[in-house]
Amino acid sequence: MHGRKAYQLVKDFASGEKGHLKSFNNELFDRVIEECNEHHNALQSLIRKMQEEGLEVQTAKNADHYGALIHHLSLIRNKRCLMAYVYNRAEIVRELAWNVGLLHELPHEIQEKLNETEEQYFKDHSKSLKLYMSQMNLDVNVDMVPPKDPYIKVRVLEDLGSGIILSDKTANFARHSMHFLKRTDAEQYISRDKDVSY
Amino acid sequence: MANYYNIDDILTEEEFVPVVFHKAANGVLIDPSSETNSVEQGAKVELPLWLAQELCLRQAVSISAPACFNQKTRLEIQADAACVDLRSRSPYFYEFGCKIAPLVGDKTVEVLLLSAFKIRYKEILTKAYTAAHTSTLKFLTLLTKEETNLYEAAQSSMAAFKKWRKGGPRLQRASVLGRKRKPIE
Repeated sequence: MHGRKAYQLVKDFASGEKGHLKSFNNELFDRVIEECNEHHNALQSLIRKMQEEGLEVQTAKNADHYGALIHHLSLIRNKRCLMAYVYNRAEIVRELAWNVGLLHELPHEIQEKLNETEEQYFKDHSKSLKLYMSQMNLDVNVDMVPPKDPYIKVRVLEDLGSGIILSDKTANFARHSMHFLKRTDAEQYISRDKDVSY
Repeated sequence: MANYYNIDDILTEEEFVPVVFHKAANGVLIDPSSETNSVEQGAKVELPLWLAQELCLRQAVSISAPACFNQKTRLEIQADAACVDLRSRSPYFYEFGCKIAPLVGDKTVEVLLLSAFKIRYKEILTKAYTAAHTSTLKFLTLLTKEETNLYEAAQSSMAAFKKWRKGGPRLQRASVLGRKRKPIE
C-alpha cells in the first residue's frame, strides 16, 4: 500500500530512544525498496497504455494520468522516508565518533546495531577528524571550558594493561590504581568510562 | 528543504484526511471499498496528507476538515484547553493543523490552535518547573509531540541550573554509553 511500509520504517526509527540507535532494519528497508520497484513498474505500464491510446502523456488528464501521478508521488514519498532513515542514523553515528573517541573500538552492543556501510562511515569520519586535528595541531575534542588545574586525579575502573603511552610519560593502568594525569589525556578515557575523576 | 529529513515532519504528513475525488484515477489500490483497481469520480476516501496535498494542488481532489478538528474537539478546547487529550486526536496536532489550514479554507482552525496552545503552554511550563514526579504522569499523556519536547526542554534546563548551583563533576561518561543495552540475540 502506498507509503505504509516506509511509514513503519520511519516510525521504527522514531521509537528508539533519542540519540540511541536501534539495529538496522534490513528487512523493512528491503521491502520498501521492493515497493518502489512495484510502483515504478505500474507507472511504466500506465504511461505505455496512454501512449498506445495515442494521447499526449503530458497534457491528457484522464484516469490513467492520475493513476500514474499517484504512483509517482508514492515513489517520491518512499524515497524521502528511506533517505531520512539513513540520514538520521548517520547523524547519530557522527555523534558517536565525536563523543566516544576517534577510531577507538565501539562497545559491542553498539557495533551490532550498525550496518556495514555505517561502520565504514564511522571509521572514515573519525579518520577525517583526526587528519583535521593533526593538520591544525589542535585537539578539538577536549572540554571547551579551560579548567582551573591542568592536572587531574583519576582512578582506573578497567584494566587497560601496562605501557599506555600518554603525552609525557608511560603509565600502568591496572584496575583501581590512582594516577595524576594531564587533563587532556584523561578526558578521552573518562568519556569512554574507563576512569573516574576526583 | 530543512524539513526534508525531519522525522517529525514526515510523521505529521502521514495523518489521514478525508478527500473527495474530482477526477477518476486508474490502476491504483487506494480505495479499499472498490473491487477494481481504480477510484471513481466523487468517491470519498481517506488519504494520507502527503498524497492529499499534492493531489489538491493539481485539482484532482478536494479536502475536508479531518476528524480531529471536529465540533467535539472545538467545544472541549473552549471549555478547558489544558485538560484536552490532544495526543489521542493526533500526536502532531499543531503541525497537522498548520498544514491543513490553507488547504481546507477554514479560517477558524488557526484561531482554535492558537488559543489552545497559549493555555497549554502556560500549564506545561508551570508543571515542568514544579515537577513532583507522580502527579504529572497523567498530564504528560495528554501532550502532543511538540508539547512534550517543550516540557523536556524545560525540565532539562531546570536540571542544568540545579547542577550548576550544586557544582557537579565537570567530565562525565559519554551519554551514548550511559544505558544498559541488551545485545542482539
